[in-house]
Amino acid sequence: MIRAGIDAGSRSIKTVLFDTERKEILASGLADQGVEQERLAAELFARVLKEAGLGRSRISGVVATGYGRHAIGFADTTITEITCHARGVHWLAPSARTIIEIGGQDSKVISLEDGGRVRDFEMNDRCAAGTGRFLEMVAARLEMNWEKLSELGRQSRKPAIISNVCVVFAETEIIGLLAEGKPLPDVVAGVQNAIATRVSALAGRFIAPPVYFTGGVALLPGMARALEEALSCPIHVAPQPQFTGALGAALSDGA
Amino acid sequence: MNASPRKLTLDEWDDRHEQLRRDGLREPTYGGPLRRHVVRDRNFRLQHLQFDNSPAALRLWNFLLTENQRLHQARANGDKLVGAMKDLGTVPVMAYALPSMRAFYPDGAWWTPCLMECGDMLLQQAETMGLDSSFCPVRAMLPAFEHGGHFPRPDLLVCSAGAICDDFSAIAQRLEHLGHPILWWEMPRRRQPDSGETACALPGGLSAPKIQVDCVRAELGRVGQALGELAGKHLDDVWLADGIRAANRVRRTLESLRRTVYAAPAAALPALEMLVAEMLAIHFCSDREESIAVLDGLLAEAQSRARRNQFAVSADAARIFWVNPVADLRAMNLLEEIGGRICGTDYMFTHALDLIPEDLPPLEALARAALADPMVGPASDRAARIVRECRANGAEALVVSRIPGASHCAREGEIILQFARREIGIPAIELEISPVCDAMRTGLRSRLQALVEIARDRRPA
Repeated sequence: MIRAGIDAGSRSIKTVLFDTERKEILASGLADQGVEQERLAAELFARVLKEAGLGRSRISGVVATGYGRHAIGFADTTITEITCHARGVHWLAPSARTIIEIGGQDSKVISLEDGGRVRDFEMNDRCAAGTGRFLEMVAARLEMNWEKLSELGRQSRKPAIISNVCVVFAETEIIGLLAEGKPLPDVVAGVQNAIATRVSALAGRFIAPPVYFTGGVALLPGMARALEEALSCPIHVAPQPQFTGALGAALSDGA
Repeated sequence: MNASPRKLTLDEWDDRHEQLRRDGLREPTYGGPLRRHVVRDRNFRLQHLQFDNSPAALRLWNFLLTENQRLHQARANGDKLVGAMKDLGTVPVMAYALPSMRAFYPDGAWWTPCLMECGDMLLQQAETMGLDSSFCPVRAMLPAFEHGGHFPRPDLLVCSAGAICDDFSAIAQRLEHLGHPILWWEMPRRRQPDSGETACALPGGLSAPKIQVDCVRAELGRVGQALGELAGKHLDDVWLADGIRAANRVRRTLESLRRTVYAAPAAALPALEMLVAEMLAIHFCSDREESIAVLDGLLAEAQSRARRNQFAVSADAARIFWVNPVADLRAMNLLEEIGGRICGTDYMFTHALDLIPEDLPPLEALARAALADPMVGPASDRAARIVRECRANGAEALVVSRIPGASHCAREGEIILQFARREIGIPAIELEISPVCDAMRTGLRSRLQALVEIARDRRPA
């Protein structure tokens, strides 16, 4: 049986096709999110099927997750991203006990029991300061993409201290730092540290090793390092971090 | 008239009400279609709620939504009105012990912005009076006092002071400063007796030093004297004992209702109606005798459904223990929409659900009941009771609902969550629910749904 998982996130849509008998990922794909969420998801799904050489009839079930999951009308069921990231990360890294997921519009810390069941979770969806939205704002302000932003952060020798935890005020602060001549890499690293500090406050009591970092923001190399410093523990970036939610959805049978 | 349990929208209730009338439904004077509370009172939130379809629920809603009318009518009839504040359940027992006297909670206006979807502008007006959104929504009572249009101005305002939240103190002090005199009475912060101190047992399995009980008894004696002067009668022990027995009648019925609905394998009544029903314990919705009739009706309906094996919520629903009332009533519907059900509650007034001792002198009994207030003791006491009830009712998860701006104890939610995780190991979350939570709906839904998924996932295979 082949099952499909669709993660309709705030910034991008991800799809994973999973063979439940051979227990392997057959294909995956990613597309930018937009206003017409269902159409975009359907197009991505069709594209991934085509690339995998599979017909729609081969798919025994489609599970949608992510903040836009309810917009995916062709899904058989929906499951929250908390459950799906837990299942996806556990499948990829069975030893994981804590998951940090930083997405485009929220961040989560998920605590796992032996066997991968969720013990508890914390979620920040009220403040952009601990989410990818903060990085997006900085990237837009500096007129560069995420990759370039991340590269710059790695060059930092003395990260700036972004004292404010509000994205709106932080923007003003960043402008001030740049006007003072603070090197760009230090400002970018400062932003990454600010996000990591925010997430570490959210994590609080939940941190039990091994800690896995997932979600699109995990692709930025500087973020894992910033989290390690903020949490004082090793951080493992989950394999294919942007796809763990979709994978978890594909692994679910709707329960 | 006994249809299978179902949730109805307001539109569907219009049709159902018409049908019930044709079938001979007999309603109290405050009865009628729910729609009129939208048209006449601009309670727009009702259009977005889902209601239980029983005549007993209809009566409950009509009783709740006609309270201000009832108070105005009582004033017109010459009854004395007492505005009780903060103590949640003690002063009204005393006030209703006197003939021609009613007590209500003006701070109950905190739900008005929800019901009117902020169309009342109470919160905005409170801001112009110096109480911005960093304060608890109870601040809505301030403009309600100043500009009228909601409840009538009470003849006497009584408010506890001392072990109450900072927000409430600030709001009540501002109210007095605006020209509404308040009779303050002291409520000490409950503590465990020191060694060598005489301990007094309180309802709910708590205890306090005798010196604190004596203090509260004396303070309530002062309140009783003021109530008597207002009524032109002496509030003696005979009347007080009668008042306590009548209050206990309400509490016993509520206890039966809570047991029937919360402890059972499936819920016979929805969470929303149960929330409203529990609120009747505090001040009887301004009519003690009628509140008994309303609760009797709900209990009969719940028991009848349980006997017929018909339930308002699926038996498979995750059993959630809910702490604190929600600012937006819609949240209770949402919980059931995503596969949860309430199996126990602590809506901040568990002391108003416990029986007042009938074997003690009345003021002593009331003092002990007042001191059992979860809001006047340490958060750990409250957490311990919550954990006890979670265990007793088989809770699979815990929700602590936060009221934006409320600061009874900044860390109370965290203390309760930690206690529950440590003692019973169930997943637990804290949620903030604003007076109109539409904009937060996606996030709120995700959190609740995740909690339900986790609870179900943890069930034995």
